[in-house]
Amino acid sequence: MSLLRAERVTLGYGRTPVVHDVTLDIVEGGVGLIGESGSGKTTLARAFLGLLTPMSGNIWYGNQNLKKADMRRFRGDVQPVFQAEALDPRMRAGASVAEALPRHARHRVPELLEQVGLDPALADRRPHQLSGGQRQRVVIARALAVNPRLLILDEPTSALDVTVQAKILDLLAGLPAGRLLITHNLAVVGRLCRTSHVLFAGRVVESGPTADLLDRPAHPYTLALRDAVPRLGGEPPAARGRAEARPARTGCPFRLRCPMAVAECESAPALRDLDGRRRVACHRAEEVLREPSGRR
Amino acid sequence: MIEVRDLRVRYGGRVVADVPELDVAPGECVAIVGESGSGKSTTLMALLGLTEGAEVSGRVRVAGVDVLTASPARLRAIRGARVALVMQSPQAALSPTTRLGTLMRRALKLHGVGDAERVMAEAVEAVLLDPAILRRYPHEVSGGQAQRFAIALAIALGAEAILADEPTSALDVTVQAEVVAVLRELCAARGLALLLVSHDLALVSTIAHRVLVMRDGEVVESGPAARVLAEPSHPYTRELLEALP
Repeated sequence: MSLLRAERVTLGYGRTPVVHDVTLDIVEGGVGLIGESGSGKTTLARAFLGLLTPMSGNIWYGNQNLKKADMRRFRGDVQPVFQAEALDPRMRAGASVAEALPRHARHRVPELLEQVGLDPALADRRPHQLSGGQRQRVVIARALAVNPRLLILDEPTSALDVTVQAKILDLLAGLPAGRLLITHNLAVVGRLCRTSHVLFAGRVVESGPTADLLDRPAHPYTLALRDAVPRLGGEPPAARGRAEARPARTGCPFRLRCPMAVAECESAPALRDLDGRRRVACHRAEEVLREPSGRR
Repeated sequence: MIEVRDLRVRYGGRVVADVPELDVAPGECVAIVGESGSGKSTTLMALLGLTEGAEVSGRVRVAGVDVLTASPARLRAIRGARVALVMQSPQAALSPTTRLGTLMRRALKLHGVGDAERVMAEAVEAVLLDPAILRRYPHEVSGGQAQRFAIALAIALGAEAILADEPTSALDVTVQAEVVAVLRELCAARGLALLLVSHDLALVSTIAHRVLVMRDGEVVESGPAARVLAEPSHPYTRELLEALP
């Protein structure tokens, strides 16, 4: 059984839903939630952290509904890792980590800092006296303090330099806890997650093994995301001027941006099983699969 | 279009950028890559004389003007009109209470550009924006649209060079691809000189003709992009390339 599961979850703010009818399991090997700004990925993460109650559907924590779960135990099992800006600017790094530990375990601060590759001597520094990478390590050390079974990572490396990002990814990949990674960066997801879900306009449009999604996308949106990532020495993408078209309110939400849209796309495609490993919400998924394998 | 020799920028005696040579010809894209603190943005700002409080030496010629010795009036005349600056967050620089069209019209008037409506329509089209955007306020457009508007403004004013500092790092990857494609096409079609500052080597490899790699204020390697990125000679360039996810 997975530690956390969203079952037909609709989420929103006020009466406006922004995530629609999403079902997904946080399974072993890391799970990625991929999408652009406004896709609903952070909203979904907040629901998985118990910070947002679904408008409909349920979040399951083991065999318990998260609404009725023992939140104390839950917080020990599931920890968030946000961008490093979340650190209290007045608090020294060591105190930030210690705060997450029970009083009798505060001697573990140096050990936790070492676990994330930080010199324990940095415990006396305040966030502004640390580099971006060091701050992110403090945030990770804080999350690890309670020995969580799952880390929910929201764009943990997007503000970092590329060499620092590589080191943080290595660190995350080596941690014993499970991972739910929220990102718009497909390359990062490939490093950390065996399974991924692609979100567009609050809906899962494609799910499956990350390697399959990256090698042979079955949804035109996954294809667009993949091909938009610049590759060293690769062909530059062509400008179509459509990347910012609003999601359609009826039918397939991606159809106004989709180069393959046809009349049939005016009716909303259901998320369907494609090959036993993958689910996709596109009428033309089989044709997308036959697209040449991008600019790789 | 841009010619730099022995540029040195010091703050309080500390050298933060040391660039022996940097040239950008019309129609060419040159990229400065490096990490935070490498001096890449400082170099860019020095080209427009925007390094207040710094001690700057060397020779910087931009659009025929000696930037380090030019009068403030002469510098104002090239900034915006002949050399445009595109920043990471253009929305922060746009007046929140002014419609984009009004803003562009004012800029054109200020720089004495006639036939404003036609120039505006053409510039907006060149960056693949819907002309309706001119009726919107800055908060009503997305990051990518604001960035393309900033580029359209440069084109409308007849800029011959664009200095872009991480123009896409705050954007979604699909939107980034469009902004980069727009910049690339403008470079080729209009002979714009483009100086791009970025930390993203993969992105740079798809657009730049030549690359300068900076670290701690120094240029550690420079040359044609294809050569530098395929056969880097400096260990730091190799480190940057290996760090790509």
